[in-house]
Amino acid sequence: MTFSISDSGLNALVDEVIASGTTVIAPAVIKLSAGERREYQKIGSAEKMALTGAIVSNSLKPFIMPPSVPLFRYTRAKAGVSLEPAAGKAQAAVVIGAQACDIAALEIVDRVMDWDYHDEVWFERRKATTVISLACTQADASCFCTAVGSGPDHPRGSDVQFLRKKGGYLARALTETGKAFCAKYGSHFEKVGDDADRDPLIKETREKVETNLKIDLGAIRSFLTRNFDHELWNDFGLRCHGCGACAFACPTCHCFDIVDEPEGITHGVRRRNWDTCQTAKFTVHASGHNPRKDQNSRIRQRVMHKFQIYPERFGDVLCTGCGRCVRVCAGGMNLLEILKVLGKSAEAKS
Amino acid sequence: MRELKDLARRLLEEGAVKVVIGYEEGPVGVRPVFVTRPADAEKLVFNSKCVQNLAAYLSRRRGHIARLGKPAIVVKGCDARAVAGLIRESQLKREDVVMIGIRCGGVSLQPSEEGPLTPATVADRCGGCESREPKLADHLLGALPPAPPKATRMSELMAQIEKMPVAERFRFWAEQFERCVRCNACREVCPMCFCERCIQDKSQPQWIETSPHARGNLSWHFTHAMHLAGRCSSCDECQRACPAGLPLGLLNRKMAEIVRNRFEYQVSDDPTVPSPIGAFKQQDPQEFIK
Amino acid sequence: MSIYQPHLMRVDGIIDENPDTRTLRLVFKDPAMAEQFDFRTGQFGEYSVFGAGECTFCIASPPTRKGYIECSFKKCGKATSGLRDLEVGDEMGFRGPYGNSFPVEQMEGGDIVFIAGGIGLAPVRSVIWNVLDRREKYQNVTIIYGARTTGDLVYKRELEEWSRRADVKLWQTVDPGGETCDWKGQVGFVPAIVEKAAPSSKNAHAVICGPPIMIKFTLPVLSKLGFSDDRVFTTLENRMKCGLGKCGRCNIGEVYVCKDGPVFTAAQLKNLPPEY
Repeated sequence: MTFSISDSGLNALVDEVIASGTTVIAPAVIKLSAGERREYQKIGSAEKMALTGAIVSNSLKPFIMPPSVPLFRYTRAKAGVSLEPAAGKAQAAVVIGAQACDIAALEIVDRVMDWDYHDEVWFERRKATTVISLACTQADASCFCTAVGSGPDHPRGSDVQFLRKKGGYLARALTETGKAFCAKYGSHFEKVGDDADRDPLIKETREKVETNLKIDLGAIRSFLTRNFDHELWNDFGLRCHGCGACAFACPTCHCFDIVDEPEGITHGVRRRNWDTCQTAKFTVHASGHNPRKDQNSRIRQRVMHKFQIYPERFGDVLCTGCGRCVRVCAGGMNLLEILKVLGKSAEAKS
Repeated sequence: MRELKDLARRLLEEGAVKVVIGYEEGPVGVRPVFVTRPADAEKLVFNSKCVQNLAAYLSRRRGHIARLGKPAIVVKGCDARAVAGLIRESQLKREDVVMIGIRCGGVSLQPSEEGPLTPATVADRCGGCESREPKLADHLLGALPPAPPKATRMSELMAQIEKMPVAERFRFWAEQFERCVRCNACREVCPMCFCERCIQDKSQPQWIETSPHARGNLSWHFTHAMHLAGRCSSCDECQRACPAGLPLGLLNRKMAEIVRNRFEYQVSDDPTVPSPIGAFKQQDPQEFIK
Repeated sequence: MSIYQPHLMRVDGIIDENPDTRTLRLVFKDPAMAEQFDFRTGQFGEYSVFGAGECTFCIASPPTRKGYIECSFKKCGKATSGLRDLEVGDEMGFRGPYGNSFPVEQMEGGDIVFIAGGIGLAPVRSVIWNVLDRREKYQNVTIIYGARTTGDLVYKRELEEWSRRADVKLWQTVDPGGETCDWKGQVGFVPAIVEKAAPSSKNAHAVICGPPIMIKFTLPVLSKLGFSDDRVFTTLENRMKCGLGKCGRCNIGEVYVCKDGPVFTAAQLKNLPPEY
């Protein structure tokens, strides 16, 4: 069912959602000393929403998997230890205007979070969040969503998909949650929406992204399986600084650390924090032995986890082509380039 | 820059060095390159997009680079200060690196920003630079370009903060650090952060909480700024690398100002001048001893 | 309850195996949990000292002995220092059991050769008791155990017990130079003693755990004796955090050590990239 909503209709809808007590997360402009950027933020009113502008610089990850989350609180007394669950239930939230790459990422990470053990810390926020995408009408040289099975107007993971048209948006309710949302706020939508009205920029954007990278994911996966010791890895890791910027900006990277934080002698909290395989500390043993001593092996791990190990086990590549790893990297690492080289090597070997 | 390519090729052919660490045009802007084959010297460039401070790659911690062999490194004046810092603090011997200095006309904020430089696009550190011809260099290349324009965003922000009462300043930084996710890019790109085991990584006791919450983030950034005081070469790489856009260069700039006023010391590219905290002199002011 | 929230345990017993290594006997605080808890030999857990952190150890006691679990550890970092400070009666946490296990049923009807070095005896001990508690199901049982010095040997009272059993062939050894004047066992590195003992590989399985260098030199000996790689089992130590396949830390090649391991055959080990 395709609806249509005007710009003013959307603003009214957003303000109504906020007034109802539901958190609204949308791209908004933030002014930093380094310049302006557009980021997903919890917004206080529809006028803060910026649905056009630069490519969104953060991902939705901080809202579903916050950088630091308390797992439980502990108290140690003479009588013994007592544990209480940390923070209350997740707040109901609606994400409006998210990029397709960021939404597809959520479904991909669902796989590992549900593997044998159901991670409620992740799923509580997941279940409480309705996701509305907005098809991209711009891309830059670092976007490669189409190369990894996504695309600017890919509906994967969206409850409702918005597509820009003159004066507003087409709205496609894709899931039961999406249909319920459109029904709840039906007064702001018009029933008729014709897909033919969608902004032609969407198609142009897709075509632009396709020129950035075309790879055979299956061939790369096979190549990675059989070429662990390839000399390529010696070159790739040289300019990498071994920080976590790429992993933390990435919508699909989900590795974490668990730490205890005393808040006094008798009590404290156990937290889950973002972590990354890119630091030396990630794999170091108590004995001091480090199976991944150098950046080469760590870069290899990141690429393999995303393009061989995860798809082997869960069927999905652990990447949605958002390009943030390229944009944030201080050392100039470029995943599109790495994938191109791997693709060529895979071809050469076959 | 023809002279740079030719020099690099010659150094590699003669075996004077095993790798030339310089800049190349990457897919989305200028980026570091590690040239080990003489023919690849053609990749080397120098222009106003050469923002990065390559000195970070000289740290002994980077085993896979150290294993390549003796390096030559392309340096601007600000980069030479960082290499001097590594030599000063015994991380590198002067004779173990060949420094290729380039006469610099300033660089842009981002390595993808094409010239010419304007006050809006030039990096914060360039305006008024007094080291455009690096003195710590085995070779000095290029003609001296005109002086770069001056960016005012950092000095304006500094002035704004200095007008704030202390409580407001604290709120400003607390708000900034709410955005920090502890990726440690600021630490990894910094040439002076060469500690094998960073204070954040010490767990007995855990001096600095690793969690990205307000308390942990403030502890980290304040400690980092203190550990860099008198050592930071003001390259602003920490600020450029930060994915959250934190004004980290500002903290280090302020510390440099305090060190200048209290110790009459400014980080320079002369590795023989000892740093104020790294050396003890009989004449060191001791007014705090009553 | 969240998958990350540990069960509360009480320290029921403390045994110092040697100056470095301590064994804790733990009981579940919740009687219902104590009643229903079960695991398979080879599985591991995450042991918490609240305020210090969690650490990963195998369950060193066998599943045939109900009502308690045991772990053995050396103090080397923050969490193990916290474990070391615990006294009988203190409470701490346990999450588990996690991971796969030694296929002890598959090994029934044949010989088993246990080979361990140093604290590597801890995971193997669980299997040994699991087997000895069901002794009639197995043929010859050989245990070859060594440590750097006599002082480094662990589970000394159990070694004593095993040496007195007629249905167990025990070889104890210390590294050359590690023997005390009253040492009655072998002197030599574990691989050499395995060669000397020359256990038969006919209808036999091997369970081996110890320092990487010991494993490296013992596997070829077992091969020479005729043990095929899919009949030699080991358990991998790798840096872990969540223990349940989500945090990514223990991922090596296609394997998550906490889910696909920690028990692997020598054949599987040879297929893994050398990142452990």
